[in-house]
Amino acid sequence: MLTRAPLRRVPVSAGVLGVLLLVLCLAVAGVVVIALRGDQNEADNGNRIVYGLTLNPSGFDPHIHISNELGIPFFSVYDTLVYRHPQTMDFVPGLAERWEMSPDGLNWTFTLKRGVKFHDGTPFNAQAVAANLDRITNPELGSGKARALLGPYTNYTISDDYTITLHFSEPYAPLLDGLSQVYLGMASPKALQEHSKNTYQWHQVGTGPYMLQEVVPGDHIILRRNPDYAWGPVFYAEATAQSVDTVEFRFYEDPATRSLALESGEVQVIGELLPTDAELLLGNTQLRILRVPIAGLPQQFFFNLKRAPTDDVAVRKALLHATNRTAIVDAVFQGQSPVAYGPLTSVTSYYDPAVETLYPFDPAFAQSLLQGAGWSDADEDGIWDKDGEPLRLTVVFASWNQTPEVAQLIQSQWRDIGIEVELVRVPDFPTLLRDYAQRGDFNLIAFYDFGVDASLLNRFYMSGASSNWSGFSDPELDGWLQEAMRQVDAETRAGLYMSVQQRIMEQAVVLPIREYVNLVGSTARLDGLIFSAQGWWPLLRNLQMVR
Amino acid sequence: MNAGHSRLALVILAGAVLLSALAPWLATHDPRHAVPADQLAPPSREYLFGTDLLGRDVFSRTLYGGRRTLGVALLTVLITLLPGLVIGLVAGYGGRWLDTTLMMVMDALLAFPNLILALALIAVLGNGVMQVALAVGVAGIPAYARVTRAAVLEARALPFVEAARALGARPAAILWRHIVPTVAPPLLAFAGVTLSWAVLNGAALMFLGFGGDISAPDWGIMLADARASFRTAPWTALAPGVALSATVFAINLLAGALAEHPANR
Repeated sequence: MLTRAPLRRVPVSAGVLGVLLLVLCLAVAGVVVIALRGDQNEADNGNRIVYGLTLNPSGFDPHIHISNELGIPFFSVYDTLVYRHPQTMDFVPGLAERWEMSPDGLNWTFTLKRGVKFHDGTPFNAQAVAANLDRITNPELGSGKARALLGPYTNYTISDDYTITLHFSEPYAPLLDGLSQVYLGMASPKALQEHSKNTYQWHQVGTGPYMLQEVVPGDHIILRRNPDYAWGPVFYAEATAQSVDTVEFRFYEDPATRSLALESGEVQVIGELLPTDAELLLGNTQLRILRVPIAGLPQQFFFNLKRAPTDDVAVRKALLHATNRTAIVDAVFQGQSPVAYGPLTSVTSYYDPAVETLYPFDPAFAQSLLQGAGWSDADEDGIWDKDGEPLRLTVVFASWNQTPEVAQLIQSQWRDIGIEVELVRVPDFPTLLRDYAQRGDFNLIAFYDFGVDASLLNRFYMSGASSNWSGFSDPELDGWLQEAMRQVDAETRAGLYMSVQQRIMEQAVVLPIREYVNLVGSTARLDGLIFSAQGWWPLLRNLQMVR
Repeated sequence: MNAGHSRLALVILAGAVLLSALAPWLATHDPRHAVPADQLAPPSREYLFGTDLLGRDVFSRTLYGGRRTLGVALLTVLITLLPGLVIGLVAGYGGRWLDTTLMMVMDALLAFPNLILALALIAVLGNGVMQVALAVGVAGIPAYARVTRAAVLEARALPFVEAARALGARPAAILWRHIVPTVAPPLLAFAGVTLSWAVLNGAALMFLGFGGDISAPDWGIMLADARASFRTAPWTALAPGVALSATVFAINLLAGALAEHPANR
């Protein structure tokens, strides 16, 4: 007992010490919190917002990388030669005051605005445009999208400091659309020279209304308002005392965290809310929910035309009829997006509404189509088969945009009429491309891209085109697509794209599900949140803090 | 710890196993069949535990999910136990350089947290149920081998084992007849701990989407799915969450009771 007595006192003094330590820790934490808060208040002297990004792209250089997400910050760092007006969709002057196409369509002359300066003080002129064109067309840069947007561009000539002519090997109708995208934003030649092609993305310099202040890769990007900006397109608002001075971009890759970040005030704007969450937030008067339709391809699955059983057009048609798209959109997207019926969404130029009636949901008809194509259930296991092979499909997709939920509903719907579906979810985009798309190891694959001009279709449907994962090849369709690129006349193009859309659906190359709608949430204290014609990129210039 | 606790644990565990095993007879719906029109329905007579985002019956999915989750866990434990036992016995009884080498490898593996090791393995193995069982199982081997070795070392020094050795018994006979029976009770208790890890880590990997078939009913997958609808329909997470935690809780209670059993004193 004598030896145990002192032992027993140890826990008591340890307890007292523990309490003291705890108090000390709390005190220090409190001081730190107050200090940090003070810090934040200081920054709040200006108008400052946090904008939630939904994924961390592999790179942020618009000349090199293809992610739409990069344009959310960088659309406001750069100006483009021309802009599309977000409401009228017409082309309006950007850094180019006016432009003219030669009668043969091979030369486009741009007259540039004067008095424009890059954020680093470099003057903007024809030489600067030339430097950008040189960079983008240099094969060593490895441009993913910017170069493609220039189409059959060959070279340029500079007539004077503010006049540059772009030359083409054949007429190229989508040029202005390409030039209006952030991927062809005009970067400071000085900055391009100072940094290597890999490091420039962290030191981007444009002429836009916001300047890149700080990048911490994987954590945040900070933009500051450009006080000298006075050359914006017509749809940019004038700067006022309510304009946002600082925008900090942070990443919220897990969809379930986005609505919470918005509600807690951690972010003032965030995109791609979960549809169920958006529904929930509609009742919150402190917040606004915007539904921003995105032009381009719908959320969809390409059929593999090179692999059985989807090599049979009757099977593909049956699958289209067997898919209850309305039910999918209502359940997974809470009815907040329109159902998609064709290879383009209805807000895209030259959309043809005739595709909407082609494949109504009709499981009985789907089954009769299968029967007509020689399928039966000989072994009576409830699954169609032909020549002893069951009707089994592999559907490949990545995790984003609720595609896994869409795919599971498709699986359930198709199983109802006796079609077996194996779902393969891949972790990321490179895996999707490398292991499945390029190898043709799929029956259906979820894949899409965005853009206002219908020439977007070329990359996916022309014979042998870079993203033609279907293996679709139709010389007549190739001809139409090519002709539509050469024709500048809108009516002629509309006619050609009408034929294109109908042919694609007649051949059942794609299973469209829903038109892409970005569910954006913002605090009600923020006015003027509108997006560029392409849909993804906010016009930060027009944001106003309401006091 | 008292007898009441272990009885409660037994009842919970037996209930979980029985309900899972009888899923085909007890389930009220096809666990994979989606009825989008009935999505996120609250619990009702038609849907006892409500429905999920895609309109699937949460009750039926929880029952079938138990089959998959517990099945994977059992497989995992087998994968851990057999090699773990062999390595521990050989190292503990073989001694010398064999012990040093084996334990060096095991210690190196133990440096990684269990789940991190499993994640590393799954990165190599790819997605799928079997892969998850293998990854979690293999990740558990070092700990099990270590515990086995410690028990063997202790048993080896016991007077009757030394006596047997002095009498000239063959090592294999000593190992089998004297050491294995001595070390069995603590190792059984640790097997219980291993099982609860297996359930949790397996569910974690499923939750993270390494389970292959994404529409399969599985507690981990159900919890992952529920994150998207949890705010509007908490029941989507409630059933698999309760099932998972109750099962792990019961297994831990039982393992604790085993460890405190007189045979282990």
